[in-house]
Amino acid sequence: MTGTLKKNRTQLITLAALAFLLVTAAQGLETKDWVITVLRGLSVGMVTFLVASGLSLIFGLMDVLNLAHGEMFMLGAYVGWTVFVRPDTFVDILAPLLLLFVGFILTPLWRALLARVRFSGRAAQLWPWMAAIIAFIILGLTLVSFPITKWDPEVYAESPITFSLALDQGNLALPEPKPFEAAPIIAILGTLAGSSLLASAFAGFGQRKQTGRMSQHIPRGPVITAVILLILALAAFWGNDALTEWLINIGTTGRFFLAMGVATVAGFVIGGVMETTMIRPLYDRPMYQLMITLGISFIIIEVVRAIWGRPEFTMPKAALFSGRGDACPAESIGDLIANQCSTVILFDGRIRTYNEIFIILVGLIVLIAVGLLLRRTRIGMIIRAGVQDSEMVEALGINVRQVFTFVFALGVALASLGGVLAAPSIGLSSVMGGQFLLLALIALAIGGLTSFPGAAAGAILVGLIQQFIIKYGQIGINIPFLDEPFKPSPPLVPASVVLLMVIILLVLPNGLFGRSE
Amino acid sequence: MGNLLEVLNIHTFIGQFHILEGVNLEVPQGSITVLLGRNGAGKTTTLKSILGLTPPREGKVIFAGEEIQGQRSFDIAALGIGFVPEHRAIFRDLSVLENLKIAERKKGDLARKEAFIFNLFPDLKRLIKLSGMNLSGGQQQMLAVARALVPDNKLLLIDEPSEGLAPVLIEQMMEAIRQLSQDTTVLLVEQNFLMASRLAERYVIIEEGQSVTQGAMADLVGDEETIHRYLGAA
Repeated sequence: MTGTLKKNRTQLITLAALAFLLVTAAQGLETKDWVITVLRGLSVGMVTFLVASGLSLIFGLMDVLNLAHGEMFMLGAYVGWTVFVRPDTFVDILAPLLLLFVGFILTPLWRALLARVRFSGRAAQLWPWMAAIIAFIILGLTLVSFPITKWDPEVYAESPITFSLALDQGNLALPEPKPFEAAPIIAILGTLAGSSLLASAFAGFGQRKQTGRMSQHIPRGPVITAVILLILALAAFWGNDALTEWLINIGTTGRFFLAMGVATVAGFVIGGVMETTMIRPLYDRPMYQLMITLGISFIIIEVVRAIWGRPEFTMPKAALFSGRGDACPAESIGDLIANQCSTVILFDGRIRTYNEIFIILVGLIVLIAVGLLLRRTRIGMIIRAGVQDSEMVEALGINVRQVFTFVFALGVALASLGGVLAAPSIGLSSVMGGQFLLLALIALAIGGLTSFPGAAAGAILVGLIQQFIIKYGQIGINIPFLDEPFKPSPPLVPASVVLLMVIILLVLPNGLFGRSE
Repeated sequence: MGNLLEVLNIHTFIGQFHILEGVNLEVPQGSITVLLGRNGAGKTTTLKSILGLTPPREGKVIFAGEEIQGQRSFDIAALGIGFVPEHRAIFRDLSVLENLKIAERKKGDLARKEAFIFNLFPDLKRLIKLSGMNLSGGQQQMLAVARALVPDNKLLLIDEPSEGLAPVLIEQMMEAIRQLSQDTTVLLVEQNFLMASRLAERYVIIEEGQSVTQGAMADLVGDEETIHRYLGAA
């Protein structure tokens, strides 16, 4: 015990100094003010943490700095908004999307089948290209036959802003669904055939590079998953209207939790696809990985602008967090739960239920869950070992590439969850990703780059210092030898975050929880 | 008994550098074979090439009758090859127990091997909860060997087990390797010729990326010219 104390002396002193600063900062404030400021800081910190944790896991394990991580956060927000405000659009997309996945989930099956076919030299070079082109033509023809009822960012009356406002005021009217005109069987089978062909083409590209034996074994897991997905897709296709109606009827609270789930799953899938198709081929060339993640971030921003439009818009809060009845603001936690108030009185201050309680709660749950995953499970053990030396993990006979994919997917899923969580509080815009990526990077530097607890501590510090500077911008700090209280101006808010990082890195060059190599 | 491992004329590049320029070696089943050679001769790269960590560009590696060159490292390792690397590569963030557990390939591997491992290295038993970063060099070395013993490995690749150890620990390590070699074939890299000559039955000498000679250890011990030529003063 004393050994640990001694070894981490600098860290402990720094943490004590930070705690002291926080207490001093709170001294000049009324109780209600500092309670609110701390809660707001924690809230921003938790959202930053959701971005920073994935970034740090990915960077630690694979040495990939995912510059598209902020955009994954943004994408989560937009996906969540779609499920929450336009469930009809979500249901429309569900069927073709699931059908597309079926083909790709079956990739191991295609690979096993391909291993039985012997192509001669030139044919082996050419067929994947031909298959890919044919697949794109088939998909191009079939996918358009699935009608998607969508908003139109160009027309104000049909723009996301209008739908958000309508939902907030409780008079959301969804447009009439477009009828399905093509023959359903052809559209469904076409999409299945197209995606299968495309997946085989990709497997074919990969096959040329691979040396050694090819496994002819047909795995069962993917086949079962594919069948489940196919059933879900068909259900979403024929039950389209019923599903939309059900989503409307479960109300905003149920839909919000569903939106969180969908955004997380979507992030997991996007992360997995991104790692296997774009990051994995480039592990020998780290610079290219960095460039490709930067490129992806630009592409995602433009795609988001094309689909949801350039203007910022809001996401209404779920009913659970927006009660405004006579019993509100709630006086106690019991009242709060009973009346679903939007605010609660704590220490005479008004605390917003969603921003200052729910976000922190979800952040804490994720913090504990990921912490347990890392500490208590075999995959967590492999991740912690891989952060230090992934080559040795491989030498133990562990397929470390699969763990890479899982961690990348998990990291993107967390960022995506952060996005949908932050949306009702900060709104949706195509620049939200960049802001939080920067905060997350600073949090990582403070916390020690590859340390998971470090990412959490760094993110919370970043959140706290911002909110305290904002608060002092309103009421001023009494500084000795100055006649008037000093009021930090708004530009000092981002500057203070960087300043905090500089100071911490001067004292602890490896960050709070980092270790020197 | 036949050969468990055969390496046929492998060439390995690291970046632009041609590190191995034709290494041949045989490891008979059940033996301890030692790789000898000066610093930088390519001994460590030979071990890593067998395991596919630095895949050979040419040549064959045959393990238990199967060509394994070109396969992915974790597939090769899972065939039953354990690796104890030069700098031990103990996972600092994992406890001693976790460092052992992570090496399991089937559930219960550790439970079955526990008694054997703690019999070889009694010290590890009382360190079981300690974190990898708090171990001394000797304890790390024991853990690194123990970790390679957890799954059922047919072959152990051990790189410089005596490096940086105090003489009394070297004796202990030698004894442990001698005992574990009763069940497992060992390919050893060792600078300490005295230790190598007492442990191994066979030797392979590597010089500037090429295997120059191999044979029975008993023959090498008397052959002062070869020792002097390839290994410097012994």
